[in-house]
Amino acid sequence: MSRTAIPVRTADRPLPRPPLKKRAQAFGLWLLTFLLMVIMCVPGLWVVLSAFRPNREILAKPPIWVPETLTLNNFAKIFGIGQDQVAIPVLAYFSNSLIIALTSTVIALIIGMSGGYAFARYRFRFKGGIFLGLMLFRAVPGIALSLPIFMVWSRLGLIDAKLGLIIVYISLNVPFTIWLIDGFFRQIPMSLSEAAQVDGCTRWQAFWKIEFPLARSGIAAAGVFAFLTSWNEYALASQLTRSTDSKTLPVGLMDFTAQFTIDWAGMCAMAVIIIVPALIMTFLVQKHLIAGLTFGGVKG
Amino acid sequence: MAGISIRAVEKAYGAVRVVHGIDLEIAHEEFVVLVGPSGCGKSTTLRMIAGLEDISGGDVWIGQTRVNDLPPRKRNISMVFQNYALYPHMNVRDNLGFGLRIAGQSPQVVTERVNEAAGILGLSELLDRTPAELSGGQRQRVAMGRAIVRHPDAFLFDEPLSNLDAKLRGQMRAEIKKLHQKVRTTVVYVTHDQVEAMTLADRIVVMRDGHIEQVGTPMQVFNHPVNTFVATFIGSPPMNLLPAVIHEGQVLLRDGSLVPVPARLRAKTHEGQDVVLGIRPDDICPVGHGLGETDEGTDIALTVDLAEPLGMESLIYTSIAGQEVQAKLYGPRIVQASETLSFRLALDRAHLFDAATTRSLDVL
Amino acid sequence: MIAFLRTRRTALIPLLLLSPALLTMLFVVALPLGFSFYTSLTAYRLVRPETIEIFVGLRNYIRLLEDWEFWRVFGRTILFLAIALNVEFLLGLGIALLIAKITWGQRTLRTIMMFPMMFSPILVGFQFKFIFNDNIGILNNALQSLGLTDRAIPWLVDGRLAMFSIIFAEVWMSTSVFAILLLAGLFAMPRDPLEAAKVDGCNSWQVFRHITLPFIMPFAFIAMTIRSLDVARAYDIVHVMTGGGPAGRTELLWTLIARTGYMDARMGQANAMAYLSTLLSIAFTWYFYTKLMQARRYMGGVQ
Repeated sequence: MSRTAIPVRTADRPLPRPPLKKRAQAFGLWLLTFLLMVIMCVPGLWVVLSAFRPNREILAKPPIWVPETLTLNNFAKIFGIGQDQVAIPVLAYFSNSLIIALTSTVIALIIGMSGGYAFARYRFRFKGGIFLGLMLFRAVPGIALSLPIFMVWSRLGLIDAKLGLIIVYISLNVPFTIWLIDGFFRQIPMSLSEAAQVDGCTRWQAFWKIEFPLARSGIAAAGVFAFLTSWNEYALASQLTRSTDSKTLPVGLMDFTAQFTIDWAGMCAMAVIIIVPALIMTFLVQKHLIAGLTFGGVKG
Repeated sequence: MAGISIRAVEKAYGAVRVVHGIDLEIAHEEFVVLVGPSGCGKSTTLRMIAGLEDISGGDVWIGQTRVNDLPPRKRNISMVFQNYALYPHMNVRDNLGFGLRIAGQSPQVVTERVNEAAGILGLSELLDRTPAELSGGQRQRVAMGRAIVRHPDAFLFDEPLSNLDAKLRGQMRAEIKKLHQKVRTTVVYVTHDQVEAMTLADRIVVMRDGHIEQVGTPMQVFNHPVNTFVATFIGSPPMNLLPAVIHEGQVLLRDGSLVPVPARLRAKTHEGQDVVLGIRPDDICPVGHGLGETDEGTDIALTVDLAEPLGMESLIYTSIAGQEVQAKLYGPRIVQASETLSFRLALDRAHLFDAATTRSLDVL
Repeated sequence: MIAFLRTRRTALIPLLLLSPALLTMLFVVALPLGFSFYTSLTAYRLVRPETIEIFVGLRNYIRLLEDWEFWRVFGRTILFLAIALNVEFLLGLGIALLIAKITWGQRTLRTIMMFPMMFSPILVGFQFKFIFNDNIGILNNALQSLGLTDRAIPWLVDGRLAMFSIIFAEVWMSTSVFAILLLAGLFAMPRDPLEAAKVDGCNSWQVFRHITLPFIMPFAFIAMTIRSLDVARAYDIVHVMTGGGPAGRTELLWTLIARTGYMDARMGQANAMAYLSTLLSIAFTWYFYTKLMQARRYMGGVQ
């Protein structure tokens, strides 16, 4: 004990620097975070960067690290603008994806709002069981579900039709939309709706004037999540679509690999087209999405 | 003119009954407080009056209308919720005017009535704020304002003060009382706080386990509790209860000491009867330090276990017949623990309850 | 009587509200699943539609049970999930703790964290096919430029390396689910128990082990439940990156189903496999959901 030097601060001595251990820790933390960011971001950024580079630069040996030319040619090519065109109808895929994802999202949201409201506001028999059942249906692997749906849809003429995919995506999105929306409605005290009813509203009016506006941002988040699920889905779409009538972007992406040589630059450009809308939307609703997931899950 | 009439009202969730057929007549402009411990069915009763819970049995009448099958909006009532239930996405003005706009009132009428209510409650400066920008007391006032703008037949309050701190609670209690004096309307007020019940009510309804135990003015309930439950629930600190037996016209306590039977109850006791002697702390005082002389008293020497001086009075913990009791000392005198003093029991204000039924011998 | 009708009516409202959801699930999931169960009992081949009439009982299942190849794929799938999920959980926990400690730029970090979740699995597969490409991939280019290796490493051609690459892609895509939810758990954590534990003399490991970890476990179970709903997304990744190759070394249950059903057109057999994979997913989801419910009850008072 007595040997421990008591630090005395005299006028000529500088302020003691934080101990080495602390500084090493801070540096380690920074380094870890930096590495993490690199691993997180580099793959995506590399794809984005490659989308603006000509194929010969991507394929160059030895590799060219700093891009020499940046070009929009890859995008022009896949959209069929300019001289050298790719025989892949990206525009059609894009509009298919948009129509299918939007329609299925809107319908899944309506169904999910009605179901989520029931879970959040009413007590009924087998409530927990029904909720679990919905989740378990969602757990059926896409590829496993694609087999019977393929068989049924081919009888109903829904193969290679947008409607066929829309119906499947609705069912894919309903359980999770219910999970999220249930969480959002439960964050709104029941007494608000009751107060509105005492104030003269019907339950329906109370919902639209009070509960819906308050849950709106959460519902939007659920909508974005549903949209992205449809937008990104591959396993089912790859089996249920055939032509430009219904093929979506993820399925279209595989068109590139069907050729003898992979058009890396074209694929990268198409990847950018798929990912940019998704990233923008995620950025807009991320806060609500986390809130909905955790609230619905943790609080009974 | 709208009183509220509750006739044999029951509430059951499946096989579980939480309200067991209660009857209550509330007069026009009367302020009635439903009080009881949590789970006694008071809030459920209020919510049945509001129409927020289905009525499982019996009838509720508001004025001349049987409202059992009417939704809340058709009952012409307004309600103040425990958490205020202010609409977070509307400012104070829109919160106050919401009910009127739903009812299709013209904008002029809405503005007029909102301003009137804001004036009564001192909210005029706050009309453009959102609920998030208000303090607890201000939110409480907005909730009350929302209740009065519609000129309803009855106000329902569901534990409106329980989210406020002690000081604010006292203040708002007074404001609610004043508000009732200003806008004379029938009020049903639910609380678990007996002080609120005593101070606000024209009549108190004490409830327990889905039954009404006693209905009466605050002083009736305080002075003439019908059973040991009401006796201990109303009044603070609670009434002391001492198990005893009637022996030769005296109350025989567990340690063999004897206390005379209060004169008014002599005819109602019989030899060997198991009773409970109930006496409030205010009625056990050191001789000369009581609430004034009683005609009918008995002196008893007690040893002080603990004294809590509160300024002009002290709360004394002692024991009678081996059971802890609380007593009061009025005046600035300081008492020490283990001091033995002569206490006077004010027997004219003491109660006897039947040990088996817990009912007061006064009402038997 | 009227009161009775009224209670009946209010009991019907939630069922009415739920019915669109229930009907959708019934028609688009439950009925096809029933149909696929029936098909799994037949010798159905896509190219010969009349074979759906040939009832073979449990033969498809028995054949599966005897099929050594199938069990190898099944085992590989389980191993794949076990490795991927554990790595995701541990990494996610680490990242969450890291971000919770960082004060500067926390929100930005959290936003970046969320992005991989939103990548289409097919894109993730493509992205890593591009990066792990032995000839032009950025990884080999970097390793060679840095002089760490003088020849191209066959990331997607060698069986073991291909499996590693696929797991890497899977972990890259899904770690954020854990990180985001565990981070939310850390933010929601009350400070009092932490401080009480420190006052009681716990060191930082003990505080983490006995206070922090139990508190955030429900959040981990939410993440596990969400993950278990879409484990089969790995199909997309494998499909793009290796197509199950080389020589079936990265074949997972889901790619095997697709191959049997659509390439070999043996629908009956594929449906039998699909049924097993469905049961696997359901068991998995059910397990974690039950865990979540238990943890919730255990936390009890935390409202």
